Formats: sequence, structure tokens, C-alpha cells
Amino acid sequence: MSKQRGARRLDEQGSVELVIGTHERDALADLAPQLRAVIEGEAEGDLATTIRERLFPTAYPDDPDRQAEYEELAGDDLAAGRRDALATFERTLEAGRSERGRWVARLSGEEAEAWLAVVNDGRLLLATAVGITDESCWDEGPDPEDPASVLLFYLGWLEEELVQALQHGLDATG
Amino acid sequence: MSTEAPVLDPTEVQETDSRSAHDQPWNVVVWNDPVTLMSYVVFVLRKLFGHDESTATRLMLQIHHEGKAVVSSGPREKSEHDVHRLHAHGLQATLQRG
Repeated sequence: MSKQRGARRLDEQGSVELVIGTHERDALADLAPQLRAVIEGEAEGDLATTIRERLFPTAYPDDPDRQAEYEELAGDDLAAGRRDALATFERTLEAGRSERGRWVARLSGEEAEAWLAVVNDGRLLLATAVGITDESCWDEGPDPEDPASVLLFYLGWLEEELVQALQHGLDATG
Repeated sequence: MSTEAPVLDPTEVQETDSRSAHDQPWNVVVWNDPVTLMSYVVFVLRKLFGHDESTATRLMLQIHHEGKAVVSSGPREKSEHDVHRLHAHGLQATLQRG
């Protein structure tokens, strides 16, 4: 039986079944170390700095003293949250199974939230790398010659799928 | 935070009152960006602030069309905590004195 690609909520506990292509699964596995390098401050250069600024935004743009204090208080925690989500993402990427070109994983609600966080960060990273500076940039669609652009558009679909699956949990509790 | 009611010293109460005159609430502002999905913004606002879908959607559309929206307001410590949670979810949020 072939399963439809996407994310769907399985039960009241918020478990999610995720079905994606094996090629896309491999692309996600390649994206993880790029994100980690930015989060850990290991990636260098102007692009890495811009991505890092987008992942760790400024809280007090007009107050350097309060901003420094905020970074001191929140910086480690924000990095740790991203590190944890990335670890969950990579662990579940290894735990899923491949069958006939599809990769299938069953995620707990918490794991699915970690996926959503990583996919959202992945979009921010790739969009910065590809140069999305305006909403009209999306109109042209993905550049088939640029793997980063193709993956960026793919992550848009995957993120919508994850939001829809997790949204059901909010509907149930809210 | 202690659950015991403190014994109030009248001089302290006066100080608190005079301070509150200029201690305006802080607004948490979420800014539009060309990358973040509209559905994701609605999801995060519902998850973090407990909004119903229509309230979260209204705020998201305000962010989208006007470039920003105030999503919460209160003492600095609480507002900074909200900004922290929004940053953890990848949204561009800042604090502004109300």
C-alpha cells in the first residue's frame, strides 16, 4: 500500500506520521550540519553572520546595553533549544524506514515540534543563502539549477504539512 | 516567586507608586519578514499566547499588511520572556516601551 506524502496526526497524543521521498530525507540530513555550524558559531563569513543574526534576532534594536544583557541572559538558552531540536531531528532521521523511494517515520508530538523548529530554521538559512529579500522573490519559483533553492521550496511544503498536523493538537486543546 | 503576602511598608508603597508613573508597559512587536509562512505565524501565536485561530489570524494579517503588530504587552520582564519565546520559534520580535 502506498502512503501519501506529507504529515498527518495519528492520535490524541499528537503523534505524527511523516512520509517524504528518500532523496528529500537525504537532503534534510545534509542540511542539519549546516544549521549546527551556524548555531554553534563555527560557520564563518558574511553569509553565516547574516544567517546567525536572523536565527538570533535583536530584542532591543535601540538599546545596546539592554540588548547585551538580553544576549547574556537568553543567548545560551536559545542556542541550547535549537541544539536539542536538531539532535531530535537527526535522531529521528536515522530511526525512520525507507520503502520504495519513500521514507516513513512515526514522530511523537514533541519530535514533530522539533521537526517544525528545524524546518523553519532551515528555511531561514536557505532563504538567506538564496537571497530572498522580498516576498516577490517567491513568484519565480525554485531555480532547478540551485539545490538550495529547490530545497527551500520543498521545505515550504513540508513546513505547511507539519503545521497542519500540529494545528490539530491546538484545535483539540484550545 | 514567594506565595506569602509581604508585609507592606508605607514608604515602599509610595516608592512603587511613584515609580509606576513612568514605568510604562513594554510592547512585544512581531515584524513581517519575507520568508516565514503565514500559517506558521498563526500556529506560533496560538501556541505561545493561547489565542483562538481568528485572533491569531487577525494578528498575523496585521503583521503581513502593516509590517508589524503588537502581540503582547506588560512589565518588561514578562515582555522580554515573550520575546525570548518568539525568538526560540524563529520570529523577529522586539521590545518597545508602550
